[in-house]
Amino acid sequence: MAAFIEIRGLEYAYDLHGRRVAALQGIDLTIERGEFVALIGPNGSGKSTLARHLNGLLLPTAGEVRVDGLTTTDPRHLQAVRQQVGMVFQNPDNQLVASTVEEDVAFGLENIALPPAEIRQRVDQALASVGLQGYRTHPPQMLSGGQKQQVAIAGVLAARPACIVLDEPTAMLDPPGRQRVLALVRQLNAAEGIAVVWITQSMEEAAAARRVVALHAGRVVLDGPPPQVFEPPERLQALGLALPPVGEIAHRLRAQGLDLPGGLFTVEALARALC
Amino acid sequence: MLIQAQQLAYTYAPGTPLARPALRGVDVEIGPGERVGILGPTGSGKSTLVQLLAGLLAPTAGRVLLDGVAAHGHSAAARACRRRVGLAFQYPEEQIFEPTVFREVAFGPRRLRLPEAQVEERVRWALQMVGLEPATMEQRSPLSLSGGEMRRVALAGVLAMQPQVLILDEPAAGLDPQGRRELLARMRAWQEQVNGTLILVSHNVDDLARLVERAVVVAHGRIVADGPLRRVLSDSERLRAVGLDAPQTVTLLQALRRAGWPVRTDRLLPEEAAGEIARAGRLLEAAG
Repeated sequence: MAAFIEIRGLEYAYDLHGRRVAALQGIDLTIERGEFVALIGPNGSGKSTLARHLNGLLLPTAGEVRVDGLTTTDPRHLQAVRQQVGMVFQNPDNQLVASTVEEDVAFGLENIALPPAEIRQRVDQALASVGLQGYRTHPPQMLSGGQKQQVAIAGVLAARPACIVLDEPTAMLDPPGRQRVLALVRQLNAAEGIAVVWITQSMEEAAAARRVVALHAGRVVLDGPPPQVFEPPERLQALGLALPPVGEIAHRLRAQGLDLPGGLFTVEALARALC
Repeated sequence: MLIQAQQLAYTYAPGTPLARPALRGVDVEIGPGERVGILGPTGSGKSTLVQLLAGLLAPTAGRVLLDGVAAHGHSAAARACRRRVGLAFQYPEEQIFEPTVFREVAFGPRRLRLPEAQVEERVRWALQMVGLEPATMEQRSPLSLSGGEMRRVALAGVLAMQPQVLILDEPAAGLDPQGRRELLARMRAWQEQVNGTLILVSHNVDDLARLVERAVVVAHGRIVADGPLRRVLSDSERLRAVGLDAPQTVTLLQALRRAGWPVRTDRLLPEEAAGEIARAGRLLEAAG
């Protein structure tokens, strides 16, 4: 069976003041149902451009993106593609449109002609999934940044997608907000089998994924489980990236002669290995 | 420049049912040339505090003194004081609007009605300060720059006003790890060159540890901790009580200490923590 998302020879170029900018230069990538993929790369490496190809917000200049077998370049498939792949963006304030939380979550559904009872049920379920049942009638602008991202995620969930793409969803949040959103998305992935593409500049967040894909200058340069992508750190640094803080401690200890295994990226794992 | 906040209070929408006190009586003093980090959970009042320190908001009660002069108000003295405080909000590149890098950075100095030669000198100095080459950058459109370059142009615009106090709100947010380090190093170089006061609002321990030496923690509109950065950030219980996490380095060192390792727990950077663990490991080995 074909992969859920299949990207073949994807190129994307755009025109900036008469200058042609090649943002993606030949990407081959597959994402399976239920996967949790962290997408990392320096600023300008093409992460957001790639993300916007996953649900047809951008269309390839060359190559192809297929979602559940449907090519995004065929306009007849766009609605089905967007129902399957939901997007959450960085700035929570730019994504919320309604005056109450539940209206916001229902907003996308009202455009696909569902019966009101079905909408009600899906909204309630989506709010329960993100843990915001008690906030149904709250104005979204009164919520914290983390809670606003939870509302945005609920809006995507209400469409019952098979995959959620989150483009630096934690960049504007404080640490508790970050943890709240990451924990929620991991739970949706584990419990409901929703595939996740998590774009981040936080190497710590990326190390928590099962698979990490690194972009550089519009190409996939690394793809594998965290230990394989994060080591050796010199290669990572050459790409403008870095080890997560705990990984850096472990690396430095190894350099000082301590006998430690690879793949230690969390405080718990490193403390266990040392004691 | 000496900054003094005395019994500083600020309420949003005072006298309405929506009245929300953001600061409730804050006393803090920041001396010339100090490097101070301001931390606190979302909604703690830290953004309100820095806007008051920069004289952008007028306090509901109490006052801010800049070298002894009240920062708010319309007097010439107050205006002159405010001009010596530069504030860069989060994502400052979103406020770029001029068609060339030169004009963007020159915008502030031109409003000071400086002679053109001085404006040019300030623009070049500020661009160099943020690590951009004036000759190749000046005539470019800000829209043609990368995100990291745009961020630096926006900060150059603040530096071109030659402030004595620079307040940065999450200056490295959204930058990749290398861009982050580079930007922080530039801000540190500015501080050393002009012996300016640097106030950094940030959640990022790594940023704080590389840039500041003192931490002020704001929670529920009050200052709940103020002291050397290492001491404040290694007090994990107090941090947790106000909804902040201790840095991972501190959490790791504390776990090792509980397991009997002779380590200090107030090391914030990965290289410092690694050095501390290696040292303690050798002690343990020597002791058998």
